[in-house]
Amino acid sequence: MKHETGNLKLGGHEFKSRLILGTGKFSDTETMIKAIEASGTELVTVALRRFNREKPSDDLCAPLAKLKNIRLMPNTSGAMNAKEAVRAAQLGRELSGSPFVKVEIHPNPHHLMPDAIETYLAAKELAADGFIVLPYIPADPVLAKKLEDVGCAAVMPLGAAIGSGGGLSTVDMIRLIIRDSNIPVIVDAGLRAPSEAARAMEMGCDAVLVNSAIAAARNPVDMARAFALGVETGYAARQAGLMPKSDVAVATSPLTSFLK
Amino acid sequence: MRPLPDWLNPEPWLNRNFSASDVASALGAESPDESTLAALLSPAAADFLEPMATRAQALTRRHFGRTIQLYVPLYLSSWCSGGCAYCGFAADRRTDRHALDFASVEKELNAIHAMGFEEILLLTGERSSQADLDYLRECVRLAARRFHNVAIEVFPMAETEYRSLTDAGCTSVTLYQETYHPETYDRMHRWGPKKDFVQRLDAPARALAGGLRFAGLGALLGLADPRYDMLALYRHVRHLQKTYWQAGLTVSFPRIRHEAGGFVPPHPVDEKMLAQIIFAFRICLPDVPLVLSTREGAAFRDGMAGIGVNKMSIASKTTVGGYITGGSRAPATTDGEAAVPPQKHESQFDVSDNRGLEEFCAMLRAKQLEPVFKNWDGVYRSSDSFPI
Repeated sequence: MKHETGNLKLGGHEFKSRLILGTGKFSDTETMIKAIEASGTELVTVALRRFNREKPSDDLCAPLAKLKNIRLMPNTSGAMNAKEAVRAAQLGRELSGSPFVKVEIHPNPHHLMPDAIETYLAAKELAADGFIVLPYIPADPVLAKKLEDVGCAAVMPLGAAIGSGGGLSTVDMIRLIIRDSNIPVIVDAGLRAPSEAARAMEMGCDAVLVNSAIAAARNPVDMARAFALGVETGYAARQAGLMPKSDVAVATSPLTSFLK
Repeated sequence: MRPLPDWLNPEPWLNRNFSASDVASALGAESPDESTLAALLSPAAADFLEPMATRAQALTRRHFGRTIQLYVPLYLSSWCSGGCAYCGFAADRRTDRHALDFASVEKELNAIHAMGFEEILLLTGERSSQADLDYLRECVRLAARRFHNVAIEVFPMAETEYRSLTDAGCTSVTLYQETYHPETYDRMHRWGPKKDFVQRLDAPARALAGGLRFAGLGALLGLADPRYDMLALYRHVRHLQKTYWQAGLTVSFPRIRHEAGGFVPPHPVDEKMLAQIIFAFRICLPDVPLVLSTREGAAFRDGMAGIGVNKMSIASKTTVGGYITGGSRAPATTDGEAAVPPQKHESQFDVSDNRGLEEFCAMLRAKQLEPVFKNWDGVYRSSDSFPI
């Protein structure tokens, strides 16, 4: 049972917040930091390609590393295959000091759909190397189980394309992933509204990862807070137990009351 | 003149009479295609610039966030064997020719890197004995030791030559067809290897086959009917997307203005038309980075930043070198870097946006756009050369 305690557990680390934030697409570092603080998140992912040791004003890593109670999870966005992702993950660990890695391999730089095969190969190698691996994947229940088998700390199926705001378009596949998973399931990518985050949590997701929906909102800081509430609401509803759904009305005066 | 291949020919979408309602449907198209682009480029769409801008901004923000990627060009050589009728560096123009020696290349690269750039575009003219493949490969190698992303805008090459540049640390190629209209192309390119339309057309594909990750396409607006060229450009991009599905493609919109030699563009494109073109491309290619250089003036670039365009050059010199010795910057600028008077006769084209880097970044930030210097990492190169 994954929902016995309120904390999200990833590779031996516990997080009170079930909202994970991405750090791209913000208009400036200050807004990004304020959004992170408003969201209450304790885990943020940052692309290795946005690490810039030579120009602090262009660097996303250093300002995030300064935040208290926030863990960094470098991601391998930009990698085209497993070999590049492994190299990027190793460099990310060296630069950030964090054992977490989001394996993100999307060889088509336009639609950014994850490469299931290369992601599996990279995740397997990185898990064996001691990383806490969270792979970003297509919503594929078979792939999810295979990634669990090679030691991933969670799986992160997409709700819709990165940045698309398409919502939970893969809802049926995500239900199957949740049903059979022994590791946390985190919906990553595609969410647009806090209500969708709530729905993902109600379905039994363990967390959600959000970036564009916050960064591209008119007011990113307020939207970060709204997502925190959405995640909390959905999780609380899941814990409370939704009433069963029925296709037919359940009469308050049952027709079969005469049967003893 | 050989006809254009079917995958490129824009004729079927030209000269249709689009109505306002066609434009309105194109604006809401779920799966944009050639017809969508043709409608948005049509005269009828000129009355829809505001809704087109609104749609373009929403798509730009969705795919690229509130960021603008920055890059800077370094002209390595003004030697050229080509005879482009419109170019200040053409072989028959009287101009002082230079090629940076490797020590100067290193100094220029260091100066540019010290400004904070992580993406550099190296330029030469058509292949010459002063700037040939060996020369270029060494320049790429020097750049790859300092910059995460090294792009070239040079002469078309064979796949094996592109491969050798990939191995030296090159990541991107920019190569404009100039015009996709074969007759115009033939007239504008008076002699030399560039006269071969197909050899140039297929060069981005050869570069991608040779291991480069990104290819930048464009047509020089002003040479031919812009609707013809823009539809063909769109089809070229789509063709490469289908053929080289892992390639990152970008599109630029260079507009001929007042090049040396007094060339007058036969099909001038005004700012409104240029804006219409850029909005139309954003709507039809929502996830392709669109680029605008300092050929355009400050006001236009400021207006386009984050609306249609998400990648821009700044602080550019279009003379050979120029980052350590001064260059084409007008003396009227206020950033104190204009001690050397402009050398217009030695530049390929005039820079219209003469602002310095800091001033430009301040403008972006005021528009709530983040200037991004590094959006790529040398760790993703297939070669073993990394920035040091």
